Amino acid sequence: MGQHTSPKHRPARTSADAVYRIRNSLRPQISRTQSVITGIFLILGFTITAAIQDNQADTLLSNTRQSDLVNVLDNLAQREARLRQELINLEADRETLLGGDEYAALKSAKDRAAALALIAGTEAATGEGISIAINGTLSAVSLLDAIQELRDAGAQSIEISDQSLEVRVVASTWFADDSGSLTISGAVLRVPIQIKVIGDATVLTPALEIPGGLVDTITSAGGTVKITESTNISIKSVVPLTTG
Amino acid sequence: MIPALGLLIGVVLGLVLHPTVPLWMQPYLPIAVVAALDAVFGAFRSILDGIFNDRIFVISFLSNVLVAAMIVLLGDQLGVGSQMSTGVVVVLSMRIFANVAAIRRHLLKA
Repeated sequence: MGQHTSPKHRPARTSADAVYRIRNSLRPQISRTQSVITGIFLILGFTITAAIQDNQADTLLSNTRQSDLVNVLDNLAQREARLRQELINLEADRETLLGGDEYAALKSAKDRAAALALIAGTEAATGEGISIAINGTLSAVSLLDAIQELRDAGAQSIEISDQSLEVRVVASTWFADDSGSLTISGAVLRVPIQIKVIGDATVLTPALEIPGGLVDTITSAGGTVKITESTNISIKSVVPLTTG
Repeated sequence: MIPALGLLIGVVLGLVLHPTVPLWMQPYLPIAVVAALDAVFGAFRSILDGIFNDRIFVISFLSNVLVAAMIVLLGDQLGVGSQMSTGVVVVLSMRIFANVAAIRRHLLKA
């Protein structure tokens, strides 16, 4: 096959000879042999690249043992079952929402929003409740105790006011003593003050009259407390709605 | 020189075309590649030994690849495919090392 310009048929004697032979073999020669070898090398390069890329493509699973593969498969099956269940639930929800009762969801959401607005104090409130008029010395600690008692007794909305100011009591309201007056969330109130509470009056009144409670504390310090039950207590003060 | 260009073009083609290896070929391709590399290093060694013959190179290249693939195929049929691949790779690697050592002795006299 072809006429090869072969070097002498003996091993290279020196490094220089060896380098010369390598150089010589790399010299461009146009012959049939060269083209055949070129073709072989072309296929070799192509194949090496293909094999390497193929190996890199699926190293993750092809190097995994059979038991691990079974585990992977198991996990996938479980995940699929979970997702299917979720799909069924979501489709059921969708059916309910699309079905005849289409305003039910909206209505329940609005009810919930209204209830939350009362608790957060962002809406005015009216309803059955009590009004407490306090005259005498009142400390922030005993007032806070009274508020806690009222909340425990099921008070929905609470407002504290004096002659000029009204303060809605919400979760973030704070109380502080200030020489002769009370500071409630930054507003300075002077006795006599009035506390309006919306809730079940028959539960709220006893909560204040327990021994050591608000009434007990005020009267023992020489003050007066007057509790009035009413079916129409109106709380108008609100706290600004903060978002975020 | 021209064969080296061929090798380069082959690599570039492989990178550009991004071929997918057929499933039936996957166990044999790596072995065939190692066998081919053995033939290439053997050719360089024989150039330095002064006994290079292009016909022998082409035939040894093809037969190396075929025999390596056949051994692995036989191993697959016998149920010891992976062990057989390992064995073939070990033997071919030893031959490559021996060839490279011979080339090194010629070039560096060390």
